[in-house]
Amino acid sequence: MLVNLLSNVSFYLPEIIVIVTMCVLLCFECFYSDDERGRSLSYIIGLIGIFTAFMAVVMNLGTEAKNLFAGAVVIDQFTNIMKMMMLLGTAGCFYLSAQSKEIHERLKAEFLIMSLGVLVGGMLLVSANNLLTVYLGVETLSILSYVMTTMKKDDAHSSEAGIKYALYGGVTAGVMLFGMSHLYGILGSIHFLPMVEAMSDLSATSTVATGISFLLFFVGVGYKIACFPFHMWSPDVYEGSAVPVTAFFSIIPKLAGIAIVTRITMIFFNSGTSLAQAWLALIQIVAALTMFVGNLSALNQESVKRMLAFSSIGHVGMILMGVLVLSNEGQTAILYYSLIYMLMTLSAFYITGVVVNKYGSDERIFFRGLMKNNPILGGCFVIVLFSLAGLPPFGGFIAKYNMISVAVGKGLITLSIIAAINSVISLYYYMKLVRIITLEDSDGKVVFESFNLSGAVYVLAVTAPLILLGIFWNGIYSAYSI
Amino acid sequence: MSALLNLILWTPVLGLIAILFMPKGKDQLVRYAAVASTGVTLIFSIFLYLSFDQSVAEMQGVFSVPWVEMFHINYSLGVDGISLPMILLTSLLFCICIFSSWTVEKNVKGYFALLLMLQSSVYGVFMSLDFFLFYVYWEVMLLPMFFLIAIWGGENREYAAVKFFLYTFFGSIIMLVGIIALYYKTGMGPDSFNIIAHHGGHFVNETITLFGHDFSFERVFFWAMFLGFAIKVPVFPFHTWLPHAHVQAPTAISVILAGVLLKMGTYGFLRIAFPIFPAASVEYSTVIAVLGLISILYGAFCAMAQSDVKKLVAYSSVSHMGFVMLGLAAMTTQGMNGAVLQMFNHGTSTAMMFLLIGILYERSHHRWIVRPDGTKGYGGIASHMKTYTVIFTIGMFASLGLPGLSGFWSEALIFLGIFGKFPTITVFAVLGLLIGAAYLLWMYKRMFFGEVNESIKGYSDMNMREILYMLPLCTAVIVFGIYPSPVLNIMKASVGNLVELMGKF
Repeated sequence: MLVNLLSNVSFYLPEIIVIVTMCVLLCFECFYSDDERGRSLSYIIGLIGIFTAFMAVVMNLGTEAKNLFAGAVVIDQFTNIMKMMMLLGTAGCFYLSAQSKEIHERLKAEFLIMSLGVLVGGMLLVSANNLLTVYLGVETLSILSYVMTTMKKDDAHSSEAGIKYALYGGVTAGVMLFGMSHLYGILGSIHFLPMVEAMSDLSATSTVATGISFLLFFVGVGYKIACFPFHMWSPDVYEGSAVPVTAFFSIIPKLAGIAIVTRITMIFFNSGTSLAQAWLALIQIVAALTMFVGNLSALNQESVKRMLAFSSIGHVGMILMGVLVLSNEGQTAILYYSLIYMLMTLSAFYITGVVVNKYGSDERIFFRGLMKNNPILGGCFVIVLFSLAGLPPFGGFIAKYNMISVAVGKGLITLSIIAAINSVISLYYYMKLVRIITLEDSDGKVVFESFNLSGAVYVLAVTAPLILLGIFWNGIYSAYSI
Repeated sequence: MSALLNLILWTPVLGLIAILFMPKGKDQLVRYAAVASTGVTLIFSIFLYLSFDQSVAEMQGVFSVPWVEMFHINYSLGVDGISLPMILLTSLLFCICIFSSWTVEKNVKGYFALLLMLQSSVYGVFMSLDFFLFYVYWEVMLLPMFFLIAIWGGENREYAAVKFFLYTFFGSIIMLVGIIALYYKTGMGPDSFNIIAHHGGHFVNETITLFGHDFSFERVFFWAMFLGFAIKVPVFPFHTWLPHAHVQAPTAISVILAGVLLKMGTYGFLRIAFPIFPAASVEYSTVIAVLGLISILYGAFCAMAQSDVKKLVAYSSVSHMGFVMLGLAAMTTQGMNGAVLQMFNHGTSTAMMFLLIGILYERSHHRWIVRPDGTKGYGGIASHMKTYTVIFTIGMFASLGLPGLSGFWSEALIFLGIFGKFPTITVFAVLGLLIGAAYLLWMYKRMFFGEVNESIKGYSDMNMREILYMLPLCTAVIVFGIYPSPVLNIMKASVGNLVELMGKF
């Protein structure tokens, strides 16, 4: 038993490394003298941790699907790639936080510690294979997120966002737990596979009860990915948080939530029973409404962060389409979309962060003349916005194309057309911003002090792949194929 | 020959890269680079014409390399009798547009770089034999177009640019769903993105389930494609983006828009919608013809009501593209040949009109035939700008369809082709010609004759550069007006092939 457990540990190395890094940073933060050197060191420790964890995931690549810890956790290609992207996303957010003026210097190490904590929760959720792990993942993810929201200590909006987030999160977690307890009661297990077996012969009454329990369960994860109708918190939290935190929230919890929705749908509802059909219909409606709500709400936002928040709601709706496909092709499309989405988010929020550092606000008017004042930032933002809208030759197009493609292949024509119409709607508000960046003029020449060489390298490093992945996507797409 | 295709497609990109690396402030150098690039492309296009075998109906110079192996997406190019006239037209018009843009002073580098990017993507659309590649070029074209209108356009340019972008994007993304559906319907095999392999009506008996009901695959996706192309043409009622885009766009961009980009819509019908869904095309040809007729009449009446001369020509484009749709709907040898010929001829004649209006605008800085306060914007130009008047007269009569000039042949062929099939529609369509003559001549009278307007007395006549770049178009309009066979010969075999295919359904 013990030997078995220990051999499992080797596959669980990435999570362990992240936890260890978190603990090291926690200790380090207690002792380091509050200066530039100490801060740099903590960033270096954090990045080393992420890098080692990344390498550990790479070592796991290519192994067959494995159930660890008595079936509590599963490791397969999908989880590995998701984890790699989450690690990269976290590393990107580290850079954002290092550059941010919104987060007080003293709190930067805290940002690292808490984001690593959220990351662990996310990684747990991605590979969850029983209800308990799901709950553990969601809660680890959430509780630290509430604290991260309030990182702008002297800002009332930030505190308000934190309270909102915590209240909303608390309620949905409770509802989810309620649903889970019913599932355990009806199906007699908390492990997914025995649950599936139990679901194959249910009485009519139990089927209805199971359906309702799953619905309650969906509330919890739906809130994490901010899909309609559980998206209300997201714009306020995004707007209230510091830019690096917002970027972080739009990557890690979303990817983790998407992963768990995918896994649950694939495991429980791949059977064609009436329950499965009801669940798929639910996701279909949720996906369509999420797209519409996200994109229509984004149309008239003055705050760029808020606009990006709503647009990310729209993107989640797109990704949910891939969930409905119930196949490996669907999962590949989800992974590719997530990768592109992550790159676009990192780039967009970095640029927003530079503007916020300068003006202390992310109103659209502060982006006027960005192209003229700083061609690198302006050009990259234009590319990111076109990519977000899904125009070739950028990565966002390939991501959307593959998503619509697998959906059409599954026969989801109506949903695909809804997705297409939403692309047009989203193009409108992205174009509005493109227009402001390229066509309007700022009052005089503006210099962004916080944008330096490292910033240029960073923003090019996350934007250039958007072009490359839009043209040469054969290799990466085959690598992502499951 | 496939090498020539690649050269034509990528030379503008080389020019674009060269321009991007030029130092700031070297505007003249940028202009020369753009001239060199388009000039070389034009020469390559002439070589392409010379090496083109006019007796072959199939694709020539096919070049295909895998792009995304796992989905069988290829970078495949080819040219046939329908695309070659369009490629020649593109090369000619872009070369001319570079010369006509000599006076652009605002951000010269960006302007010419975008223009070359636009050129490359237009070639891409006309050459692609792969659906994915086609779509990518179709969409990439929107980016330079948006910026060219939005940065260098008139007062209301941003609204026009956004409207143009959204309309076209809407049409094309619905088309994308159709492309994907075709991909699955053909079994995701090696040929699923191959446009030519889909030709021939393989989808007549296929069905698709929507909302729990079975629909004919052919009909549903014919309309999906129709929407994408009809917005581009533009056919009534999808034409509302066009007047805005035209009026706000700078001269060269109006020329490209009317001369080349609108043809991409009708080219889409010829290359994709008709041969892939022939049964549905024949079934709905009445709808296409009626929409074409409405475009002709509605466009003509709108043109008559305009007091802005550029808007007048823009609406006349709607009307003239309606003739193309009518010719396509006929599905007869004469009608189809007439339609492709009209695509070419409208390209030259409307380009002349827009260039001439641009020349006048550079002098007067307004485009009013009649100003909003009721006074005349121009008047008596004929007695002050002699060369200008001569060239304008040629251009105007060509677009009016006067026998002896190019527009006549294509319209005559279209009427020949359509009469047997839709006599009633033909009768009304002929009325369109009459209205066309009316609004053009009325505009001509108000601008060129009558009392000499005080404001025009200071205008200089056309200079050497302007005459030089108008000359090829004048020649084309007159030569092909007397002897249209060179163009007809190019397309004959390919169009015949298409007509034969449509005849089977």
